[in-house]
Amino acid sequence: MDKENEFEKRVSRRKFFNIAGWTGLCAFLGSSSAAGARYFYPKVLYEPASTFNAGKPEEYTAPTGNEVIVVDERWKKNQRVWIARNKEGIYAVVAVCTHLGCTPNWFPAEVRFKCPCHGSNFNPDGEVVAGPAPEPLYRGKIELAPDGSMIVTTGLLGIRRANLQAQKKTLGVFWTQDEKEIIWKPPYFLQLKA
Amino acid sequence: MATNLNDNEVSFVPPFLKKIFEYIKSTVVWKSIFRVGYPDTMPKRMAVMRSSFYMHIFPTKVGVHGMKIKYGWCMGGITFFLFLLLTVTGILLMFYYVPEEHRAYNDMKDLRYMVPYGVVLRNMHRWGAHGMVFTVILHMIRVFYTGSYKPPRQFNWTVGVLLLLLTLLLSFTGYLLPWDQLGFWAVTVGTNMASSTPLLGYEGPFSKYLGIQIDNDIRFALIGGTRIGPNALVRAYVWHCVGLPLIATALMIFHFWRIRKDGFSGPM
Repeated sequence: MDKENEFEKRVSRRKFFNIAGWTGLCAFLGSSSAAGARYFYPKVLYEPASTFNAGKPEEYTAPTGNEVIVVDERWKKNQRVWIARNKEGIYAVVAVCTHLGCTPNWFPAEVRFKCPCHGSNFNPDGEVVAGPAPEPLYRGKIELAPDGSMIVTTGLLGIRRANLQAQKKTLGVFWTQDEKEIIWKPPYFLQLKA
Repeated sequence: MATNLNDNEVSFVPPFLKKIFEYIKSTVVWKSIFRVGYPDTMPKRMAVMRSSFYMHIFPTKVGVHGMKIKYGWCMGGITFFLFLLLTVTGILLMFYYVPEEHRAYNDMKDLRYMVPYGVVLRNMHRWGAHGMVFTVILHMIRVFYTGSYKPPRQFNWTVGVLLLLLTLLLSFTGYLLPWDQLGFWAVTVGTNMASSTPLLGYEGPFSKYLGIQIDNDIRFALIGGTRIGPNALVRAYVWHCVGLPLIATALMIFHFWRIRKDGFSGPM
């Protein structure tokens, strides 16, 4: 008997319904807000496929003499990727400046990628040698089809830097040693006999 | 014959027309719409201001001193006028513009060359937008230098800052709509900046603690995808034509209410 009276003193019927009502309202408002925020994130994207057949490696000229690299621009407009060939092999560089997303330009005379928007300079490896870009240029994956042609995937901006290595390290404008282990091997690099 | 002219006024209305006018003015329909008669006496002039929906934002009387241009340069009023102009020209432009990526630019060119007076409408909209940003900044400078942000007007200043932000966002979303190189790359750069936001952007600090990737960060929500494309154009259009104007209107209503409530900060 006493316990019942004590409980009623703490939570009367009136107070119970008060709490229940406010809980219900807050639950409704909270779930509506969450649904409203979720509304802005579509579940399916109709963006064009970023996997394409880039042809056989032999179609891309190899560097001769003192040249370090030959950068082919034939896919730059449609697929936003360069096919770069150095003396060891071939790799795909995604033509998106890591600063704020403009399309850099390749200057063979200066052996640099230069972004016209804010002046970031990238060397042929994609590392940042000048300007505000915080990371090297992304790489696309290259897989070989049965007939020997390269299937290039630029995907969600090629490979994301954070995919490459443990999250704890601070990422800089040059490839780290761990990353170099990854980007100079398949699938980011296709080794060709010179 | 009854006349509502003062002694010195002259009317060129012929008598038969005057009869018709006076009959119309005596009908119940007229009186239900126009409750106060012609404002030819001081109480009637004040009553017109007080009883009109559009006019009651003004005080019933304003002293001559309070009307001096040098106090405010009318910058707030000009900004609001430009907002109304942009709304009207914007609605008219909406009849000929569809926010679809393959026709948006051509619609803009059609407005310029094919639509009668389209070039005037489009130019008024574009110049009005630049003008509104310029005048709202001048207004902000004026309010600052006349100290009109001090108590009790601090919150109104905050609301004004929010309105400035909305003006800039309206400019930004509108810039994308012609779907030209200028707009496309401006929005690319701007939304990529958003992806550097702490916690919410996939390139910002602390994003990894929330599992934020390129396809679930705040930039993704803004442009509706991983890259600027058809989704981004439609979203910019809806924000520009509906979302941001509604929020701006609500804030402006409050802004003007506070101005009337607090009164002019100088002598009247």
